[in-house]
Amino acid sequence: MFWRWFHQWGSPKWFYERASRWQFVFGFVGLTLLFFGTIWGLAFAPVDYQQGHSYRIIYLHVPVAFLAQALYAGMAFCAVVLLVWKMKLADVGMQAMAPVGFAFTILALISGAVWGKPTWGTYWVWDARLTSMLVLAFLYLGVMGLRSAILDFEQAGKTCAILVLVGVVNLPIIKYSVEWWNTLHQPASLTLTKKPAMPASMWVPLFVNIIGYYAAAAYLVLALMRGIVLNRERRARWVREVVDLA
Amino acid sequence: MSIERRLIIREFRLLIARPADLFKPMWFLTLVVSVMPLALSPDSKILADIGSAVIWVGVLLALLLNSDQLFYDDFDTGVLEQYLFVDRPLSWIVGMKLISHWILQVVPLIIVTPLIALMLSVDGLVIHMLVLSLFVATPALTCFTGLGAALTLGTRRSGVLGVLVMMPLFVPVIILASGILIRAKDGTEVLPLFALLGAFSIASAISVPVAIAAALRLNIGGSN
Repeated sequence: MFWRWFHQWGSPKWFYERASRWQFVFGFVGLTLLFFGTIWGLAFAPVDYQQGHSYRIIYLHVPVAFLAQALYAGMAFCAVVLLVWKMKLADVGMQAMAPVGFAFTILALISGAVWGKPTWGTYWVWDARLTSMLVLAFLYLGVMGLRSAILDFEQAGKTCAILVLVGVVNLPIIKYSVEWWNTLHQPASLTLTKKPAMPASMWVPLFVNIIGYYAAAAYLVLALMRGIVLNRERRARWVREVVDLA
Repeated sequence: MSIERRLIIREFRLLIARPADLFKPMWFLTLVVSVMPLALSPDSKILADIGSAVIWVGVLLALLLNSDQLFYDDFDTGVLEQYLFVDRPLSWIVGMKLISHWILQVVPLIIVTPLIALMLSVDGLVIHMLVLSLFVATPALTCFTGLGAALTLGTRRSGVLGVLVMMPLFVPVIILASGILIRAKDGTEVLPLFALLGAFSIASAISVPVAIAAALRLNIGGSN
């Protein structure tokens, strides 16, 4: 039973057909949650007594920053699956997660900068979290650059898997060293403001949005994965049938 | 003669055949650092403040520049495939190559840094700490540049890409080294930071050759 389920993942055709259903579910759930969560957060959640309305960017910033890190962890999971079980689909997943994760990282940096201007008075400070997010963006870029430089996609996948795993081992070290460096250099006035414990009317919409962004990211990754599968399997008969129908 | 010694002697001979390679990193470092006062200010007070950091960044760039050829010649001439038939693990041979690369390319670079530091009027104690921190940190940096070279072996124009891929992983080393230099200027305790830096170097010297060997295997035809 388990092995049957496990081996199904080796079939690109099975994945392509199933994933279109999952993609629909994730897209629907994500869109609904984001619609209600964002309106709730932006219009109905109470105003923060310290930061005023500018705090409302957390309904974008926090979920996006979560996903930027979660997608790197997802890539590392795919890398292990690829190197241990040589599953082609794991490589497809790794390839699809890199641009999505990079986009979320950049979005987190930009939304943080937009929030930083009214709150800290500057778009950028060399704060620990900002710096480690920047390093994460460079790690994503490295993975994408390495993949695009190697022509043979099987070799590119395994090479990227090694890079992703080395990166994931280093990420905690980078994070802690950057935090230590920040406390060494920076006056305490510029740390992330410690908010008072949030009331439920503030964090419930945030929670809704976090789930919504997770679903949206799953939708994007699945959409990219299906495209990559079609491209890689373009010589197979089932792909010609699918593409002719469309 | 043991295989290890033969490998290292071979690297020495290869370098003697092309002595210009020995001087290129030093040339580069001196050039980069000499441009700094021109771009910034000839004021010795400013230079003394930032001099050690500038030298650190220069060394980093020099290391990245001279590492992209680390495995390329062996790959090109088929020596890499011969390594598989040696009765040692590939990661062990990679370790030997990294050690000889460190001795031949990195240590000369460290030896010229005190001279350049004097030109930037860096304080005497800070120069000591600079050289020591370079000696402790460069094994880790050499391992990571080697990994960048191995990962980009199968690509064209690999040099720049290896640099871009590996640079983010240097962050902890840069932070610890700059911490040492700042504390040396203030006259506070530097030993804990040296211990952390050394631990990072030892951990990477143990683990990174395994990753390098895995990356090299991917480039050896048909054996993956």
